[in-house]
Amino acid sequence: MIEVVDLVKDYRAGDGSVVRAVDGISLHVAAGETVGLLGANGAGKTTTLRVLATLLKPTSGTARVAGYDVVADPVGVRRNLGYVSATTGVPDRLTPREIFTSFGRLHGLDRDATAVRVEHLLDALDLASCADRPAGRLSSGQRQRISLGRALVHDPPALVLDEPTNALDVLGARDLLAMVGQLRAEGHAILISTHRLHEIEHRCDRFVIVHMGRIVATGTRDALVADGAGLEDAFFVAVSRRVL
Amino acid sequence: MAHRGRHGSQSRWQAAGWVARRELMEFVRDRRTLVITLLLPMISYPILALATTLGLRTGVMEAEARLAPTTVMVVVSGADAQPFIERIEAMIAATDSSGRKDWPAETVFKDIPGTLAQEAIDSGAADLWLHAERGLIAGLDAEGTMSITVQASTVRPPTVAARRQFLALIDSFSEEVRRRRIKAAGLPATVLEPITLRVVGDQPRGELPVGEIMNTVAGGVLVLLAVLPMTGAFYPAIDAIAGEKERGTIETLLIAPCSAHEIVLGKFLAVFVITLATLAANVASIAATSAVSLKLLSTGGSPSLALATAGGITITLIVFIGLAAVGAATCLAVTTAAKSGKEAQNTLTPVILLVSALAGAALLPGMQSNRLLPAVPFVGHVLVSHAAFMAAEAEEATSIGWLLLLSLSGSVAVTWLLLRITAVMLTDEDILFRGQDSAASPLARPSPRALPTLVQGAIPPIMGLAALWYAQAFMPKELFVAIPVQQVATVLLPLAVLLWWQRVDLGQTFSLRWPGRGDAVSAGMGIAGGGLLGAGVFVIGAAALLAFRGDSLTPEAKALSARLVEMILGQPWWLSWLLIAVLPAVCEELLFRGWALAAFAGRRRTAGRVALAVLAQAFLFAVAHVLPERMPQTFVLGAVLGWVTITTGSLLPAIIGHLVHNSMPLVVLFASDCPPDMILEAGSGGLPGVDSAGIPVWALLAAAASVVAGALLVQAAARVR
Repeated sequence: MIEVVDLVKDYRAGDGSVVRAVDGISLHVAAGETVGLLGANGAGKTTTLRVLATLLKPTSGTARVAGYDVVADPVGVRRNLGYVSATTGVPDRLTPREIFTSFGRLHGLDRDATAVRVEHLLDALDLASCADRPAGRLSSGQRQRISLGRALVHDPPALVLDEPTNALDVLGARDLLAMVGQLRAEGHAILISTHRLHEIEHRCDRFVIVHMGRIVATGTRDALVADGAGLEDAFFVAVSRRVL
Repeated sequence: MAHRGRHGSQSRWQAAGWVARRELMEFVRDRRTLVITLLLPMISYPILALATTLGLRTGVMEAEARLAPTTVMVVVSGADAQPFIERIEAMIAATDSSGRKDWPAETVFKDIPGTLAQEAIDSGAADLWLHAERGLIAGLDAEGTMSITVQASTVRPPTVAARRQFLALIDSFSEEVRRRRIKAAGLPATVLEPITLRVVGDQPRGELPVGEIMNTVAGGVLVLLAVLPMTGAFYPAIDAIAGEKERGTIETLLIAPCSAHEIVLGKFLAVFVITLATLAANVASIAATSAVSLKLLSTGGSPSLALATAGGITITLIVFIGLAAVGAATCLAVTTAAKSGKEAQNTLTPVILLVSALAGAALLPGMQSNRLLPAVPFVGHVLVSHAAFMAAEAEEATSIGWLLLLSLSGSVAVTWLLLRITAVMLTDEDILFRGQDSAASPLARPSPRALPTLVQGAIPPIMGLAALWYAQAFMPKELFVAIPVQQVATVLLPLAVLLWWQRVDLGQTFSLRWPGRGDAVSAGMGIAGGGLLGAGVFVIGAAALLAFRGDSLTPEAKALSARLVEMILGQPWWLSWLLIAVLPAVCEELLFRGWALAAFAGRRRTAGRVALAVLAQAFLFAVAHVLPERMPQTFVLGAVLGWVTITTGSLLPAIIGHLVHNSMPLVVLFASDCPPDMILEAGSGGLPGVDSAGIPVWALLAAAASVVAGALLVQAAARVR
């Protein structure tokens, strides 16, 4: 469903020098699978996810979502992808219902289908009680659920979540991740990046650990973690090996 | 939760419509912006007008009070005091109201001894003291000239009205005495009135006609209205893109299944609607305020003010719809490069000042006669609306239909271009994911860059325009000194300042390399191509100028042309060539095809961005040449030389092309057999070296061939590369 092959992304600094943010990353996420993309700040996680979301163009390599190439058919990708990041906000002056409705119509849903979908999302994301209140008056957890709902309004088969729990407290993060688990169960392909490893240690089918733009380890939790240790230890080992 | 995505599709307008709807919903819920944008004008104009109108009205009333008929107390002394009083009172009694022009409302005469008269005027009991010597009445009935002294107090001087009205009364008295004398002499009363003059037609010189006043006032109001769309679009445009970036919501739009053009179109529609609403609120407020002000100022007997016809007002409103579109698109384009609302405000504020200057330029003498200027944003909008608004007759209003068409076409083209630029910038990775602004001291120079930024690219040409204004104060009269001074002040100095401030890679910025592959063949082809293009563009541009402008050039253009011809004939040819051709070719190419083009084209040179960059720098190049009639030709030359620079990768062919273009007047002049006087006369037609009679067909054909050959050579040089 989500497929990245030999992805390279270069940025040009102001002085003309080239900075390689992503250096040959390859990964795939199948339907009904959740893959955790782990890495320290600046490792290349967000750049990879932004390429998948068609916000950045790859320097080389390919990235596909539901068979659509991010360069050749970005609109096809967007129709099949839901994207939530820690930096994406919600319009303060619009209500959750209005936000879901406007994005539903932008995705080409007709009026009736949009209304049904919006009601479903408001219930599923526990936003029905505040559906008609401006988003600016809602809590961080509610706002992040609005972000998730906005990404799900067109019912995409693939989801890309970039540090979705960053602004949330423990309870909010737990609720949101529970919903992500439910989405996996429904068959969505989910690629989630975070550096709060403990949150997703037992929620992902596989992990891809990146460091300085390269993959330094990949596999299931059991394959990565030694007996008695945790995912965080595995992460340190993988990153340290690379550094050394 | 069953999924599998939706693959619904919608038209570009549907997607844009939903973006616009979302923007408008957000806007109408932002009460502060709503008040500032829509309600403030409705309140501020009446308050402003109330203050000024009341002030004016008070002034008018005071002036009227000072001039209103008053009661004048006059003490009369001397031996003939009583007969004089009787005589003048008899005249007053015999004169009807039509003959009492400028007289006092009442005049009270009192016969008193001379010893008491001074005290009477010093104490304020009387306004004036008139001394009637013995023999005054007899003298008046004879044929001589009698002297009458009227004394005013230095302690308590009379009012201006009392003094002026009493003198008017004495004038009437004198007239009555004159009539008596004529009658006594047995002459008809018409003997001293040989002519009765009646003037018809225009107002006499020296007076200020109401029409002229209205013309000036309307021009000022239209300039104000031309700037209003920018202020109306200010907050919505900032909120639409920079605000979304600041709130982190822009990404959610960019990953919606629609193109950047559709997003920009939607945002434009929302800002356009708000701008129109703002404009409507302002126009309604100004109109209502003006009507009330005029009514307040009118105290009966005021001249009726000529207002525009319905046709003129309709055309003005249509023009302003185009203006609102350009204003909204300009604000969107300018704020797209900003990362935050604050940064957008800082960028947009100077742009509004520039727009104000551009709109105000429409009121300059000579601008009305330019046929292409109506297509230029802001200045053209004011020109056309002013012409339509002041058209006294409906026929005049309809006769400017083609101006309206030109204005609307220009508005559509400029709006489209600006929206394209906005869409390119919206998805530009450097702009979208640019890091936070530097926290360094404002005096710290920025880090070295390969190329100047977009904003830095526009700064030197704008600084140059400002420098051109200041340079006028000390510009020498002799052109052979003025040209280098102008090039230094308006081109080299701003460029040097920016080069010092923002250290760039000189080679990349100014395309300092040989054309094409760098070998002699490709370099030669590039240089020859540039030269041929320069020559061809000059001849075709001159022909177009003569065809479209004919003899209707502005006096400024004619004067400049005559001065150029005079300089060419009065200086050695090499000095003229150096000043007219070499110096501008090198300096201006460094600035426009070097600095500005590199900045606008950027590092990621997509075909769309390069095309926009070429057009943008050509526009600045044209504006820098100030004279409206030269702008079309300089725009085309700038665009052609921009294309040459991009295609060959070198600035050299553009310099050669500019050099050849500017050398053509010299070639024509020196190749001509005409005597200097005839050349001077022809030169005053607007184009040095080109006879106003027109350009022969063979020359036009040769020029077209030169352009085609030049373009082929430039492309060939690029292929070699």
